Amino acid sequence: MIKIPDKLETLSTNFLIKDSPAAVSIVDTKMRFISHSEVWLKTFNIKDDDIEGKSFYDILPNTPPELRQIHAKALKGEPDSSNGTKFVSEEGHIRWLKWKINPWKNVHGSIGGLIMVMEDITEEKRKEELLIKAKSVARIGGWECDLVTNTIYWTDMTKQIHEVDMDFVPTLESGINFYKPGEHREKITQLVSEGISEGKPWDAELQIITAKGRELWVRAKGETEIVNGKCLRLYGTFQDIDEKKKVELKYQELSDRMAIATNASEIGIWDYDLVNNNLVWDDHMYRIYGVDKTAFTGVVEAWESCVHPEDKDRCNEELEMALRGDKEFKTEFRVLWPGEEVRYIRAESVVKRDEYGNPVRMIGTNWDITKEKLAEKKLKDLLDISSEQNKSLLNFAHIVSHNLRSHSSNLSMLSGFLSKEQDEDEKHHLLSMLEDATESLNETVKHLNEVVKLKTGASEKLKPVNLYNTLKTVEKNLGLMLKDQEANCIIDVAEDIFVKAIPAYLDSIFLNLFTNSLKYRSEERPLVLEIRSKMQEERVEVSFKDNGLGIDLQRHGNQIFGMYKTFHKHPDAKGIGLFITKNQVESMNGKIRVSSEVGVGTTFLLEFESTKTNQNEYH
Amino acid sequence: MNTIETVCIIDDDPIFVYGAKRMIKEAGFCEEISVYENGSDALLGLKALDKNGQALPSVIFLDLNMPIMNGWDFLADFITLPAFDPEKTLIYVISSSVDPRDLIRIKDTKVISNYILKPLTAEDLENILSTEVQ
Repeated sequence: MIKIPDKLETLSTNFLIKDSPAAVSIVDTKMRFISHSEVWLKTFNIKDDDIEGKSFYDILPNTPPELRQIHAKALKGEPDSSNGTKFVSEEGHIRWLKWKINPWKNVHGSIGGLIMVMEDITEEKRKEELLIKAKSVARIGGWECDLVTNTIYWTDMTKQIHEVDMDFVPTLESGINFYKPGEHREKITQLVSEGISEGKPWDAELQIITAKGRELWVRAKGETEIVNGKCLRLYGTFQDIDEKKKVELKYQELSDRMAIATNASEIGIWDYDLVNNNLVWDDHMYRIYGVDKTAFTGVVEAWESCVHPEDKDRCNEELEMALRGDKEFKTEFRVLWPGEEVRYIRAESVVKRDEYGNPVRMIGTNWDITKEKLAEKKLKDLLDISSEQNKSLLNFAHIVSHNLRSHSSNLSMLSGFLSKEQDEDEKHHLLSMLEDATESLNETVKHLNEVVKLKTGASEKLKPVNLYNTLKTVEKNLGLMLKDQEANCIIDVAEDIFVKAIPAYLDSIFLNLFTNSLKYRSEERPLVLEIRSKMQEERVEVSFKDNGLGIDLQRHGNQIFGMYKTFHKHPDAKGIGLFITKNQVESMNGKIRVSSEVGVGTTFLLEFESTKTNQNEYH
Repeated sequence: MNTIETVCIIDDDPIFVYGAKRMIKEAGFCEEISVYENGSDALLGLKALDKNGQALPSVIFLDLNMPIMNGWDFLADFITLPAFDPEKTLIYVISSSVDPRDLIRIKDTKVISNYILKPLTAEDLENILSTEVQ
């Protein structure tokens, strides 16, 4: 018990208390302040700086009842102390206080009051509680290993994570043995021994097997305390990260699998951050677009420069539609590889939206479907050709059957008459008709043979043929006939145009057109022929114009290229020429059309595939 | 045997025309035969007939495949003539065509009485004659 003079108003004592670094106050038996430290006022947030003689409970009306009781007991001679006591006020405020309360005696030996040292430790306690809570929420435990005494201490959480009883006593060895045998145990052994020998701290994610046999991912952190080059103590934290680690591993597995899948299938992935206007491509994208990643400053630039100009607007439009939510972005477009190679791309994407439905992000895939596209196109071409061929074969079959039938019926009719005919003159007449009929049959078979010949595999035998030379040769061969008719022939064709053709067919086509113009010329005016050419990308267009009789296309338009169709009275009209011409043109992947006006003239428009060089063989 | 007044043959094949004429004569089928080489000539000839106040033929044998104007085009024009009466002029298509498209079209064309596949026979003529009488 402290003895203090009766009156504490001596300067020295007062001075001592005033400047004390602790919250100290001295009260009399009625709990009235006799003296106090400055810190006391601060600690209890007392604004009144002259509290001497005033009641403790008036100044601090919130003093908890429990503390009031302690005061009362202390005044009876029972000192009290606490390292931290929690008080909850009626309003629910939590307050932690720490104190030392002693009675003091006056010179007469009786209790004159109390000396109180108090501290408000609410703030510290709150932090401590939070820390404890945080540790339990984060499942972080602590451990310590004293290498001098070779004792190990585990916190409750550490024990919980290991799933051992709370009274479990670990050793360094048993601690290490919780780690999964193999790489995990080897790793922790290495880390701990390096920690002891070199003082190296560690931080590792490893698997343990708990006392209950569960496999668990933990994060083990260790620090070392070195004194005079010797490690005396190891301490650290131990955290259960099983859930997080498993999610992470699952994600890793998925993204690995994804990477393998996209690698194998050559799928490119892009990610467009609409908020920051940032487009990201993976490496596959650059490969699909046939460009070097380093050659572009930005992905948008790369995209812009690669997409086929004819597809760009449509793609942008479809992109806009996807962003508006009108239509999913699932499309196909072409890209131009360096060297003008055209590749077909299939694209799909999804739009991510914020809570208001505004698009914020687009993620998509691209992959090259050139092979499929070309196969599809080839298939379609084949189908077109074969259906066209089927159609023309069917037509051909009907023509053959019609023509042969008309001859055979004539022959049978004539031979019928002949067998019964008595009159010698009439017999003679019948025989000469029989001869005609046979000759006609022969002629027909010859025509059919020509048609069959030109149907088979012509397109493989195409060669570059000079158009101008061909026209000139045909003109020369018909020179006499043209001269007879005083025909004027204008051939306005560039001399360096080569078309992919079978030379004999090209000759035959123009020969037929020339003879047609001669045959069906107008008697009212001298024949004028105009032959002109026009280059159109990879095709040559040739117009063959005359000023002859003309054909009524309204009436005969769909028959003009048909077999055995003639539209003019002419002894040489057989109706086979244009049929063969059309088939020859088409067998060389060309086209032929006609425009005509009766009494004015006829123009045939021919189209051929062109070739730039005059190489001897064309493949 | 009954006979028909006039028969018109429209066909570009001279051998067929010869045979048909001969069979018609042998069968005593009719009094008068007119022949045209194609649809265009026939149309001109028949129009002229009408203009002169003469009757159109009772029977027309029409070929389909002919130069300048084929059988179908002829029919299209002919049936629009004011003088044409389907009761009085029977039209028979005589052709070598076995093209189903032709056969369907023949079936769908009401003014065509029947189709005769070449060669023409005496029985064909007898059948026509018996229909005519009814």
